[in-house]
Amino acid sequence: MKSVRRLLALGVAVSVIFSMGACAKNETKEQQTQAPVKEVELNVMMSFPQYMDQWETYCKQFEAKMEEKGIKVKVNLEMPSSDQFESVLQARISGDDAPDLYTLHSNNIAAYAKAGNLTDLTNQPLTGKIYENVRKTVTVDGKVLAVPIESQAWGVLYNKDIFEKCGLKAPDTLDELKNVCKVLKEKGYAPFMLAFQEQWVPQLMTALTIGGKVSGENKDWLERMYKDEASYEEIKDIFDPIDVIIQNGTQRPMEEGSEAGSADFANGKAAMYVQGTWAAQTIMTTNPNMNMGVFPLPINNNKDCTLVNLSTSTTLGVYPNSKNLDIALEFANYVLDDKDSSALFKSCSFNPLATVHNYESSPWVADASKYVEQGRSYQDLVLPSAVTDEQGKLLQEYCVGAVKADEIIKKLDETFKESNAFNK
Amino acid sequence: MHSKKRENLTLMLFVTPALIVYIIFKLYPAIAGMFYALTDWNGLNRSYHFVGISNFKEIMADTDYWNSLLFTTKYVVVMLVVANVTALMFAVAIESRAKGRGIFRTLFYMPNMISMIIGGYMWSFIFTKVLYYLADNWGITFLDKSWIGDPKYAFIAIIIVSVWGSAGYLMIIYMAALQGVPEYLKESASLDGANAWHRFWKIIFPMIQPALTICIFWTLNSAFQVFDVIYSLTGGGPGRVTQSVAINIYEEAFSGNIRYGYATAKSSVLFLIILLITIIQLRIMKGKEQEL
Repeated sequence: MKSVRRLLALGVAVSVIFSMGACAKNETKEQQTQAPVKEVELNVMMSFPQYMDQWETYCKQFEAKMEEKGIKVKVNLEMPSSDQFESVLQARISGDDAPDLYTLHSNNIAAYAKAGNLTDLTNQPLTGKIYENVRKTVTVDGKVLAVPIESQAWGVLYNKDIFEKCGLKAPDTLDELKNVCKVLKEKGYAPFMLAFQEQWVPQLMTALTIGGKVSGENKDWLERMYKDEASYEEIKDIFDPIDVIIQNGTQRPMEEGSEAGSADFANGKAAMYVQGTWAAQTIMTTNPNMNMGVFPLPINNNKDCTLVNLSTSTTLGVYPNSKNLDIALEFANYVLDDKDSSALFKSCSFNPLATVHNYESSPWVADASKYVEQGRSYQDLVLPSAVTDEQGKLLQEYCVGAVKADEIIKKLDETFKESNAFNK
Repeated sequence: MHSKKRENLTLMLFVTPALIVYIIFKLYPAIAGMFYALTDWNGLNRSYHFVGISNFKEIMADTDYWNSLLFTTKYVVVMLVVANVTALMFAVAIESRAKGRGIFRTLFYMPNMISMIIGGYMWSFIFTKVLYYLADNWGITFLDKSWIGDPKYAFIAIIIVSVWGSAGYLMIIYMAALQGVPEYLKESASLDGANAWHRFWKIIFPMIQPALTICIFWTLNSAFQVFDVIYSLTGGGPGRVTQSVAINIYEEAFSGNIRYGYATAKSSVLFLIILLITIIQLRIMKGKEQEL
C-alpha cells in the first residue's frame, strides 16, 4: 500500500512538471500565431516622468500617423524616475533588452556612441532642422547622434515680485548678491531655496560656478584637467558663492526633494532657487501667477564670470540593433515633425531648438535668452560623470558640515584623475 | 536499503523544480560574478579584459568601501539587538494574552508584507513632512531634528524603519517556538515556586534557542545586505555617510565610472565576510541549543 502511494506521488510530480512544460510551449505558439505581420512594437524609455501626459499623447499621435501609412505601431512608453533612469537603462542595454529609443544626457553621447549603442542620425531629415548652436551639443566626431529635446539657458531662478517689493534687481557681482541676501533677510524673506535631498540639485551649484569661473577667467582649466595637469585648487573661489547660498538658505535642506523645493519656491517660501528652467513646469503648475525670472550666478566680483549656462541636457538616441530600426528612426524624426513638434515642445515648456518651433517662449526663457544675446553665456562643461556624481555627494556633505572645502578639492582632483585613467 | 534509495529519489524529484530555479537564478549568476570580478568589464561594452586580482588589490585601498562596511557593521550590530529584542517582546506579549491574539499578530506582521522600498518612501514622508508638521504646529519640539540630513539621526531613522519592517517576521518565528514549549514544564516550574521572570529565563528561553539561532542567522544575513531601506530613505546620503556596502556596490556598478567588474569584486569580498561570520555564528549557537 505504501509503495503504491509513493508511486502515485511520483507520478503526480512527474506529470505536473511535464504539463508545466507543455503549457509554456503552448503559450509561445499562440503568441506567434496571434501577431499579425504588420504590427510593430516600439519600446521608448524616457527620463522625465513629469512630462508623461504630453509624451503619451504624442506617442498616440505617432501611432495614428503610422496607421495612415499602413503600419500598426504600438508604442510602449516607459518613464523611470530620473534618479534611477541611468541604472535601469544600463542594465537593460547590457542585458540585451535595450529599448528601441531612449533618452540620455548629451554629456554621455560620446560614451554611448563608443560602446556602439547609438545610431548615426546625420543623414536623417531631422538634422537639418536643428539650430546650429544646439546641433553642436549633439554632435560627436562630426556625426549627429541624438535628437536634442531639452536645451536651455539657465542660472538662478528668482521671484520677480519679491525682488520688486524689496527694490532689488538681479545681481551682477558676488558683492551685489551678498547685498541682495542682506536686504531680503531684513525684509523677512528667505533668500535661497535649498532642496538638497537629491544629489543632482546641490551639484547644480558646481555646474554653474565652475562653468562661470572657467569660462570667464581660466579658459583652459578643463582641457588641462583632462590631461591631469590642473587642480580644483585653481578655481577655489567657487566656494565663495556656494557659501553665500548655503548660509542664506532655507532650513532642513536635506529633507527637501527637488519637486517639493520647486513647489515651495513657487509659493514664495524663498526668493531665489539655484535650479534650471526645467523646473518651470512644476513651479507654474503650483502657482500659475508666479512672476519668475532668471539671472546668472555671480562667482566673484568679475562680471566676466557672471554667465548663464547654455546646455542641452536630455536628448533622444536610437538603439542601432533595434529590431524595428526603420520605425524607430521614424519616431526620432517625428519628434521634430514640421506640424506637431511645436505643440509638444510648447506643452512641455521646452525651449525652441529647431526651425519647426514657432511658438512664443515663456518670460523666464526670454530673460535668459537676453543674456545669451549679449554674449554672456557659456557652453555647458562636459565633466566625467563620476566627477559630477562626486560633486553632488560632497556638496551634500559640505552642507551638513561633514567635509571641508579643502577636502572636497582633494577628493575631486583624485576622482578626476581616476576617471581619466579609465577613459584612456 | 532498496526502499531507502527509492525514497531519496522521490524526495529529489520533489525538490527538482525549486533546485533548477535556484541554480539558474542564484547559483549560476553568483559563480559567473566571481569570474567578472577578475575583469574590467564596464557593463556597457561587449568586450572586456582579464585583469587578475588587481580589482581586489584596489579594494584594499578603497576608503569609501571600508567606511561603508564599517557603517554596515554598526547597522548589523544594532539591528541584531534591537530587532530581536523587539520581536521577542512582541511574541511573548501576544502569547501571554488570552484574547485578540490574531489581531495583534496580524497588526505587527503587516509591515513585513509591504515591500521595504515602499515602506522606506512612506517613512521618508513621515520623517520629512509629518514630524515637522507635528513639531511646528503642535509644539512637539524634540521631533524637530534633521532626520535625513544629520548622520546621527539618519542612522536612528534607518534603524526605526528596518525594525518596523522586520520585527513582524521574526516575531512569527518566536511565536511558533513559544508555542512549542511544553505546558507541563512551565506548570511544574510554577509548582516549584518559580515566578514569571524565572520561568522565562530558566525554562522558556533555553527551549526557544533553535528559533533564536534562526532569527539571528536571518537578521545577520539580511542586515549585512541592507539596501532598500537606506536607498529609499536617505539614498546613502548626505554624501556617503549612511552608505551601506550594498549601496556602495550598486553605485560602483551603475553610476560614476560604471565598473561592473570592480563592483562584483566588492560583492565577492562582502560574500566572503558574510560567509565567515555566519559559519562562526552557527557553530556557537548550535552548541547552545537544548534538546528535549
